[in-house]
Formats: sequence, structure tokens, C-alpha cells
Amino acid sequence: MMGAPGSAPWLLGWELRLAWRGLVAKRAGRGFAAWASFVVFAAIMLALGVPLGRFLSEIDAVDSPPFVVVTAAGAAMVFLLMLSQALAAAADTLYERGDLDLLFSSPVSPRKALAVKFLSVALNLFLSFGAFAGAMLVSAAFIAGFRWLGAIGLMAAIALAATGAGLVLAIGLFRIIGPRKTRTAAQIASALIGAAIFVAIQARMILGGGHGGPWRELWAAAAAGRLHPPAFAALPLRAMQGDLAALSALLGGAIVIYLGASLWLGERFVGDAAAAKGADVVTRPSRDEDVRFTAGAFAALVRKELRLLLRDAALLSQVFLRILYLIPVAILLTRAARQGEAVAIPGAAAGVVFLAGQVAGSLAWITISAEEAPDLLAAAPTRASTIMRGKLTAALTPLAVLMVGPLALVTFMWPRVGFVTTLGAAAAAASSSLINIWHQKPGRRGEFRTRRGSTWYAMWAEASVCGLIAMATALGAMGVIWALPPAFMAGGILLLLRRNERQIGEMLRAT
Amino acid sequence: MTDALTLTNLTKVFKTPAVNGLNLSVRQGELYALLGPNGAGKTTTLRMVAGLLKPDSGSIRVFGIDALADPIGAKRIIAWAPDEPMLYDRLTPMEYLEFVAGLWNVEPKAARERAESLLKLLGLWESRSQRCEGFSRGMKQKAALAGAFIHEPRLLILDEPLTGLDAAVARQVKDLLQSRVQAGATVILTTHILEVAERMADRIGIIQNGRLLAEGTLDELRKLGGARQETLEDVFLDLTSAGDAVTA
Repeated sequence: MMGAPGSAPWLLGWELRLAWRGLVAKRAGRGFAAWASFVVFAAIMLALGVPLGRFLSEIDAVDSPPFVVVTAAGAAMVFLLMLSQALAAAADTLYERGDLDLLFSSPVSPRKALAVKFLSVALNLFLSFGAFAGAMLVSAAFIAGFRWLGAIGLMAAIALAATGAGLVLAIGLFRIIGPRKTRTAAQIASALIGAAIFVAIQARMILGGGHGGPWRELWAAAAAGRLHPPAFAALPLRAMQGDLAALSALLGGAIVIYLGASLWLGERFVGDAAAAKGADVVTRPSRDEDVRFTAGAFAALVRKELRLLLRDAALLSQVFLRILYLIPVAILLTRAARQGEAVAIPGAAAGVVFLAGQVAGSLAWITISAEEAPDLLAAAPTRASTIMRGKLTAALTPLAVLMVGPLALVTFMWPRVGFVTTLGAAAAAASSSLINIWHQKPGRRGEFRTRRGSTWYAMWAEASVCGLIAMATALGAMGVIWALPPAFMAGGILLLLRRNERQIGEMLRAT
Repeated sequence: MTDALTLTNLTKVFKTPAVNGLNLSVRQGELYALLGPNGAGKTTTLRMVAGLLKPDSGSIRVFGIDALADPIGAKRIIAWAPDEPMLYDRLTPMEYLEFVAGLWNVEPKAARERAESLLKLLGLWESRSQRCEGFSRGMKQKAALAGAFIHEPRLLILDEPLTGLDAAVARQVKDLLQSRVQAGATVILTTHILEVAERMADRIGIIQNGRLLAEGTLDELRKLGGARQETLEDVFLDLTSAGDAVTA
């Protein structure tokens, strides 16, 4: 362990060691295939770096205005994405605490302990984004020149600045809305940032102007001289190209933001963390008349699951955000119909079906795998099939409520498309739910977004089956017979994944 | 009279045998304390009885019902309460009891009456409409116990029911258990607090390495160890250290 005991490098060493062990344990739990998929992913990213390298080697990017604009916009987008992660991480640190009590009760300065803790958050952000871009950048740099490795330094600067900003936002939320709501608000805000980026990217399409996507639009506008970015907007591009002055300026600025936030707010964070632990949970009390004792496990299960779903603000925000992603699809559908574009309608129908399957899968995962008291259900004199029926009914009810209006509208406007889309959405939702029953694995509700605990092949199969059904729906909406092969393929995958009650029981006992 | 619980040659092996040919009988209407050092196989045994783990071999009979052949039948008359309360943070105690009563198919009117009576008895009535997420450990444990009692089980299995409870809550739980035993229920509990077993249990079983080392009333156990065995702690330590020696 490097550094003297109690020093910042020593603490950071422990943080990294624990993070590494967590990562290895997670991968080991998923078996060899997970490592293999990681290697395949890295290979793909390396391969993608080749065309990027060729592109970069053929252009003179140093002072290119379109390049300046697009790079600055890209850096801002990465910053926002990292900020959303940092905000959630800061709020989690306040509540999950982990080893905060141990650190704060030790003679190590709380400021130092927190600075290290947030440095590890920054490192985590850097590595998680670096995993996507790092391999691609390395292979691109081999072709276009090693100066482009400056992009890695730019990413590090963005990670540090985003962590500092996330810390400031978390503390601000804590002060404005109080300790208990901060975590939920942070989770929602984090998700909203992601959604806002998505909507911004789709804005041109939603508004009906242009067909080339926002990056191309930006590029064209800058090339035509319609955009006049300030001088500092060129810093990210220069830093990416290995300009030491630009890189130093950005890294220096990021370090100032990070250190300023962690040192200035560190003391407050210590106090807030203590307050978060001691804060009473104040929830709106439920009324006695809302409690309805009824005989039968099925009804009891449906009511319990619906209550838990509706009381989970963070979860609801995630589900609604996925629905939000349907908005561009819906607008596209309407616009395409108005303009008589026959191909766009089946494409949009496929999008609706795919999202229905994904939302159903997530809700099924929450109700089945993220059960909080599995032993209670296992000890109850209730058949597993009754429990599953109750859980699935609860999981699919919110989806049905959300989909019924849009599907009815589509059916009214284009009966065949509406019928096929309804059929496809139902099939995708049922398939995702079944996969989640057959391949359930205990998880925690808080892990909803990543569905940690799910087997990689179950998640892959869920996406593939939904994709195939979406494809079948699109072809069905076009009225072609070619809808049948993808439908049969989806059915085939489902048959391969099928497990009986005994097999599910054995798998659960093994976990 | 049929025993409340009969375990015959019960065996469960994980990497090493956790329960190793255990034979045990618990009579109807008694409070039976199952003691043993950490890793002795107490929890594994109780989880098998509650239907949460499948034994590798052996049999489990609950009031004459073969729990392996008819698990649903056995579960109807069993309640299982582990040391970590099986609760939902976002439900209120009343909603939790509504849910558990539904799982055990308790008649709605009776369920509501029992829920009210249990919550009042355990001092949770005023908090009945607050979500469990803000409860202390003791309150959570009491809410979970109310859930265990809602279907009036004939056999109550409690794994370390007093862990982490303060003296007042522990007294309430002990009183509740004794009142249930007086009403005819059978209780099996594990505990590391030997005084609890000494004061409450009709009979005590001591297991180690998945086997029953000794069983009987406190007096019977004292006699096993000879004149110098004053307390249950003396007997327990004497027997388990002898068990260790045999294993070694």
C-alpha cells in the first residue's frame, strides 16, 4: 500500500483495492462469459478506432471551426452525463455511508477522507467512460498520431470537474429539500439529465427541421460560419490534440473545481452525512381504510407489489423516463403519417414494441428478483405459480395503463398497425416477463437501473427477443409475410430459455 | 399425542455437513430452545423445517404432516421469524399484516381483529400507519413477529428473536411467546442468550457440528455434567468443549 498510513495516497490505495475487488467479484459471479464479453467489447472498440484514426489523420483539426464546435459540444455532453453519475454517487455516499463512520471516527482528517472518497468517484467516472472510449482512442492514436491521446487527459479533467460539481449540487439539494428527499431527488435529477441529453439530440427531429441529426447540423452551421463560439471553446479540441497548454488549463481548472468543492464543502458534507443518518423518515401516513384484509395470496400480492411500485419515486422516475423516450417515436409516427411516409410508421411501431418489452422486463425484474422478503414468500403456504401470477399482474398493470391510450389512438388512426403493435407489445411484455421468471436471481430494488444480479445471457436474450418481436411487428405493420421468421426466432429463443418450477427452485437455492 | 416436530436423520451438506443426521423431537405445547455455538447448524435446521431449504436426506414431520411430501400443508401451521425481520420498508405495519394474512389465507374479519390486537399488544398501534423504513430495529422485529402470529400458527420457529432488542422490547417479546405457549402453541427458538433459554424453555437441545449433543430440561442437563454444573452456561460450555475435543 503506497504512502504512509493515514495519508491521502494510502487512503486512495484502499479505495482502489476495494473497488477492484468489487469489480472482480462481480465479474467472477457472472462467470467466464462475462470476461469474454468484456474482451470482445474491447476488441470492437479497438476496431472502431481504426476508421476514427483514418478520419483524424486526413483532416487538419487544429483550428477547424466545425471541429471546435462539435468537440466542445461533445465535451459538454460528456460533462453532463458524468455530472448525473457524480450527483447520484454523492447522494449515495451520504446515505449508504459504507465506511464513512469508520473514517470519521478515526484520527484521519474528515476533509482528507472525503477528498479521497470523491477522488475515487472521479476515478470511477473516468474509468467507466474510459472503458467505452479508451480502447477506441488508443487504436485511433496509432493511426492519427499519439497527440490524440490528449483526449484521455480531457476525459480526466471532465471527470474531476463533474465530481466537484456533483458534490456542490448534492450539498445544495441537501440544504434546500432536506436530507431524506435528497437521495431520491438526486436519482431523479441524474436520470433527467440523461433524458434531457436524449431529447436535445432528438430535438431537431421532434421539431421537424433537418434530417441529419444534431452533430451534423452543428458541423454544417459552424462550417457555414453561422456559429461564433468563444475562444475558450477551442480548449477541448486543443487538449484532445495534445496541446499541453490547453490540457494544463483544463486539468488545472478541473482540479480547482474538484479541490474547491471537496475542501470548501467537505466540512458541511461531514455534518450533512451525520444528519442524513439521524434523520427521521417522515412519510405520509396511510389511512386505516386503505388497508383491506382479503383472503387469498393472489390479491394480497398484487396489492403489495403495486403499493411498493407506486411508493418508489426513483423507480417511477426511471419508468417514466423510458416512456419519455417514446415521445420522439410518437412525434415521428404522427409526422410520418401526415407526410405520407409509409416506412416510418412500422419503424415507430417497432420502437413502441421494443420499449414495451424493456419496461415490462424492468418491472418484472423489480417484482420478481428484487423481492425484499423472499423468505417470507418461501415460508408461506402459497404455490410458486400463484406468487408469480400475482407479481406479473402487478408488474404489467402500470405498463398496460401507460400503453392503453397511445395504442388505442394508433388503432383508431391505422387499425392494422394498431392491432399489430398491440399484439407485438403484448408479446414483448409477456416474453420479457417470462425470461425474468425463468432466470430470476435475487437483487436489490436500488439496483433497478443496472439490474445487477441478472445473468448476462438473460439480459441479452430479453433484448434480442424484444428486438425480434419489434422487427416482426414492423414487418407485420407493413403487411408482409416476412414478419413470421423473426417471430418464430423469438419463439425459438424463448423455448431454449424455458425453465420449469423445479429448475427455477434449484437455481434460487444455489444462489 | 403426536409430537409437534420430529426430525429423523436430517442431513444437509453445503461444502461440509451443516446438519449431520440430526434426530430431534419437540412436544406439543412446549417451548424448546435450540442452542449451539456459531456454525453448529441451528439456523440450517430451522430453515429446513420452515421449508426454505431442502434437506439432502432425512425426514421432517410437523404435527404428523410430512413436510417434504406436503410442504404447503406444513407451512399452513408454521410461522418462521428469522433474526433479520422479513419486512417491506415501504409498507406500514398494518399493510404488512394485511399482506401476510393474505398469504396465509386468513379470513379477512379475523385477520383485521388479530392485526389490531397484535399491534396493540406489541405497542405498535400508534405507528400502524407509518412506513416501516423509519422504524428502529426493535419496532421492525415486533412488526415481523406480529406477522408471524397473524395466522395463529401451531408451531412457531424463531431464530434469535431477541437479537438487538432493548430490555423493554425483549420483555414484550418474551411475554408474547409465553402467552402463546400457554395458549397451546409450540415454540422453537434459537438464542445465544443462555439466560433466556434457562428461564423460558421447557426443554433445551444443544447441537454442535449438526448433531444433537444433549437434550432435556435444565435439571436433566445439569445432571449430565455432574455436581459442578451450576448454570446452563456451565453445562453448555462443558458439552460443547467436549464436542470440540471429539471432533478434533
